[in-house]
Amino acid sequence: MAEKLGVYICGGCDIAKSLDVEGLAEFVKNGRHQSLCPVVKTNSVLCSPEGKAEIEADIEAEGLDGVVVCACSPRVKWDVFEFGATQVNRVNLREQCVWTFSDDPDKENLLDSMAKDYVNMGIVYLNKSSVPEPEVEKCSETIMVLGGGFTGLNAALEVAKAGKDVVLVEKEAELGGKARDMYKSFPLTYPHTALQETGLDKLVAAVNSNDKITVKTSATLEKLHGAPGQYTALVNGEELSIGAVILATGWEPGNSKYLAPLGYGQFKNVVTTSEFEKMAKNGGIKRPSDSKAPKSVAFILDVEKFMADVDYSQRAVCEPPEELPCDENKDGEEECETFVYEDKESARHLAYSSEISSLVALKQAAYVREDPEAMAYVFYDHMMVPGVNERFYKVAQDDPGVMLSKARITSIKEGSGGSLVISAKNTLLGENVEILADMVVLPTAIVPVTAHEPTMNFDYRQGPAFPDLELFDGFADSNYICFPYETRRTGVYAAGCVRQPMPMNLAQDDAAGAALKAIQCVVSADHGVAVHPRSGDRSYPVFNFVRCTQCKRCTEECPFGALDADEKGTPMPNPTRCRRCGTCMGACPERVIGFDDYNIDQMGSAIKQVQVPDNMDEGGPRVIILACENDAYPALDMAAFRGHSWSPYVRVLPVRCLGSVNAIWVADAMSKGVDGVMLLGCKYGDDYQCHFMKGSELCNRRKENIAESLNRLGVEPERVEQYEVAIDEYDKVPGMIEDFMTNVVAKFGPNPFKGY
Amino acid sequence: MSNPVKVQPDLKFVQELQAVGGESLKKCYQCATCSVVCPLSPQDDPYPRKEMVWAQWGLKDRLVNDIDIWLCHNCGTCSDLCPRGAKPGDLLGALRNMAYRNLAAPKAIGKWMSSSKYLPLLVAIPAVLWLVIWVIRAAQLGTAFPLFEADGHSWKIAEQGAVVFGGLFPGDFTIDPIFVLTFFTMIGIFVAAVRKLLASFADLPQVYVLGQKERPGMLAAFIDTIKYEVLRNSQIEECGDDPKDAQRFKGHLLIMYSFIALMIVTGIVFVAHWGGYLLMWLGAPEGLIDFVMLTGHTPMSLVNPVKLLANLGFFAGILGLIWLTGRRMSLDKAKQGSSWYDWYLLTIIWVIFLSGFGAQVFRLMGQQFIAYPTYYVHLVAVWMLFAYLPWSKLGHLVYRTAALAYAKKIGRIPMGPRNK
Repeated sequence: MAEKLGVYICGGCDIAKSLDVEGLAEFVKNGRHQSLCPVVKTNSVLCSPEGKAEIEADIEAEGLDGVVVCACSPRVKWDVFEFGATQVNRVNLREQCVWTFSDDPDKENLLDSMAKDYVNMGIVYLNKSSVPEPEVEKCSETIMVLGGGFTGLNAALEVAKAGKDVVLVEKEAELGGKARDMYKSFPLTYPHTALQETGLDKLVAAVNSNDKITVKTSATLEKLHGAPGQYTALVNGEELSIGAVILATGWEPGNSKYLAPLGYGQFKNVVTTSEFEKMAKNGGIKRPSDSKAPKSVAFILDVEKFMADVDYSQRAVCEPPEELPCDENKDGEEECETFVYEDKESARHLAYSSEISSLVALKQAAYVREDPEAMAYVFYDHMMVPGVNERFYKVAQDDPGVMLSKARITSIKEGSGGSLVISAKNTLLGENVEILADMVVLPTAIVPVTAHEPTMNFDYRQGPAFPDLELFDGFADSNYICFPYETRRTGVYAAGCVRQPMPMNLAQDDAAGAALKAIQCVVSADHGVAVHPRSGDRSYPVFNFVRCTQCKRCTEECPFGALDADEKGTPMPNPTRCRRCGTCMGACPERVIGFDDYNIDQMGSAIKQVQVPDNMDEGGPRVIILACENDAYPALDMAAFRGHSWSPYVRVLPVRCLGSVNAIWVADAMSKGVDGVMLLGCKYGDDYQCHFMKGSELCNRRKENIAESLNRLGVEPERVEQYEVAIDEYDKVPGMIEDFMTNVVAKFGPNPFKGY
Repeated sequence: MSNPVKVQPDLKFVQELQAVGGESLKKCYQCATCSVVCPLSPQDDPYPRKEMVWAQWGLKDRLVNDIDIWLCHNCGTCSDLCPRGAKPGDLLGALRNMAYRNLAAPKAIGKWMSSSKYLPLLVAIPAVLWLVIWVIRAAQLGTAFPLFEADGHSWKIAEQGAVVFGGLFPGDFTIDPIFVLTFFTMIGIFVAAVRKLLASFADLPQVYVLGQKERPGMLAAFIDTIKYEVLRNSQIEECGDDPKDAQRFKGHLLIMYSFIALMIVTGIVFVAHWGGYLLMWLGAPEGLIDFVMLTGHTPMSLVNPVKLLANLGFFAGILGLIWLTGRRMSLDKAKQGSSWYDWYLLTIIWVIFLSGFGAQVFRLMGQQFIAYPTYYVHLVAVWMLFAYLPWSKLGHLVYRTAALAYAKKIGRIPMGPRNK
């Protein structure tokens, strides 16, 4: 609780032009919170060194424990308005009050009342906030790298280079992974024109000779218990103390049954790129039928035939949290089912691997051309060589012995002497063609190990595997374009082909990235702060267990599996697994979960500060916008920067994630007579953009419960609506507000609770 | 659904094409910019994109039977605008070079003409031929660099005489028989080559033009081709629209008319000379014989209209050569290359013109030691031009004319003048 607040109102950036800043200060001095605010000041440029010095002097002189900065958006100048241990709350007068104000000529003092609401909300919000004091436990800083292939070896070296200890776990007897079977790699470095050695031997030697790296071969991770910084990993029966994990388990060649439509398994001389690579590595390319070197080899990149049964419209969809693996010790009526990991491989992996397949075909065409009289044909539907790899494509193109053509392969049949007749349509010739080749090479799908098995074997309440991997066909990706190495389990960072099909140079970058993330994780755990995406956040969910009813909603809904449960079902927090999104707080029907500086009471009290006129016709309606601070709130700020404006009747409150929105806040608003609540959050569904993956989706699901409650109270459920906003949709946000004001508020009229 | 076409890429053929000037053909990624920008390409089945695909696939049969390579007049617009530097214009040029090499028999000469490394051999043949004559005549005359004075219709050695090429290389016994033989052999070779060329087009589809009552016969199409494409260079004029292309059009036209002028001169001399003999044999009156013989008598006075025409032809040709050579030298090599065929032809014409004019000048100056060797070079070069014509780039004179006429006959290109 901050009880001695300084309120500072800035008049700069045109705020004072429209707003009576002095009047606002008078309002605070004489208002209902005057006892909380011994210092109330205005300043023409609050962010100036003088302005900041004044605040610092007041903190010193008056012993302020909180500062309410009524100026610009909290998204700017956060480095200026920072006062050590003294809590700060920012009231966004500039972007979301003055700049975006659009007057309603029928009403008076709309801007004033908006500013007063915001300042009051800011004061109360800060008053109810406390400084989090995380408990810090001693952490292990050892990083476990899972997988001793190209990515894992690089990751281990990166971690060791950064000075941390590494345990490298490889399931095979030798290090090297898939790179061991590779003859050469396509170009990885400038000028990107010639094949090159993989450099695997040097890499393995460097790892073996590094005294910071402990290598465990023929080993698997049997169980990962605990939380980041305090994991206990069970590897071949041995318990290891681990801080964080880099998942670099790589890939397996796709099931060849998907290649049957083009004669794989039927004709001897139809092989996969993976088999072809091994031939090249071990003594040269030979036709399986007669062991002679082929004079013509056709590489097929068109995957249409393999994909015939794939239906993208019937994709995995986000289901409500799956049935959890039940506790065998628990005595109950329901029977315990054993955990079954559904295999996620499909023909789609061939399509996902297209870029690598294109590069591999060009590379292996070059193997064929090591015999100057042999020809390589590459038939593609799409030649995928993005970026600098175009240079390698050009080299292949220039080779007179490499024929490249767009084509749709219709069939492959066996001709005389084991050679193959390839039939193709939609070729560049505009005709259907038949072409003869000594050998046909079909693409190899890159299927992540996580498509077949849980791999991590987490000892978590939510199960041993990463959740929702069916959305990514088994790739250990969390669809984070911004945060590539993150998985749905804090402390585990994916790199290389287990994450997405990628060439070795990208895998190398990936290894470095994941290594840095893993190190950040152990260091953050050691300091008791969040790793990601609220890096450095000291807050953590606090549970009032006395009122907990063991409903398990929080343990089920946490997107990151941060909460385990005891036998009774009481949540057992693991702060270092937590990302501080507040989804548990939003889930809890008993409202027993909160953060010191972000909790149910704090938000509810702020909402209640909005002055709702008893008569909507005279004072206008009021609408609360709960805006996700990651995307929606910045979109509103950007709209302000670009000169957009919106209704003067809305009041915006940022939330950590829509997942943290507790139904009670909507009830608070409705009981105050607010006419509508807009929930502005990220896109949800299969291609979600939520920073916390499930937050906006859960909010949407909970909204239905809210609607039910509202119905019971006689309030139209339409008054609460969720909108999806991307951060760059600043041009659409004002329209959404407008839409809500006309289609909901104007349509349904005043909230029946108004005036009570 | 049509029956599938069996194709088999031919590595050797691709390499062969690259060797004769299509080295960049593999760079093509089939965007078809070339076919779109070509000012001459027909709308249906346009070139040169399809040729690029055929070449990349090594589809020899299609390329060697392709009439479109003769429709192209090589302005280089396609190569200029090609985003990949694949030089489609060069590929069509290379295909024509391949045609020069393969159409005419014997193919050995085609092979010799395809690369600069065989040039010494090609030069050696006429060089030895004319040198032998020179040596024999020197033995007969007692000197290799004789001076002459007139002796009736023939020449005799005279200390203070003049340089007379016909004295050293008598037309009646050396130049005329050799060139007549060479010329008609060349014609014979061309006839066979053109028959082969036209036969290769036999499978081309006929285009039916709506409203056209009857399609032109080969003769009508041929006359139409001579009228527009040959005498007016109408296609070269349309081909490309930057100043360099205009320079090429003018240069080509000038050289062509220069050759025509020199052909007329040669014709007059030949007809008058041998016509005189014919009249003599027929027993025509002495005066008529003298007049006719005198018309073709060489060396001519500089003010003789025939001589004037010859020199006019020379200067026109030189100007044309300067333009064409200048253009070719200034070509951006990244966009458009020049093959051995291009340089061979330009060089041989330069040598013919310079040695011909040089011989005249040195003759008039009475410098026999320079005049005779220059004339000798001229003879060698002229013989090379004619004797190797069916395998040289100049062969386009015949092949292109035949192909264009055939293209008109089958409706691939329209008759008559075409709108710009």
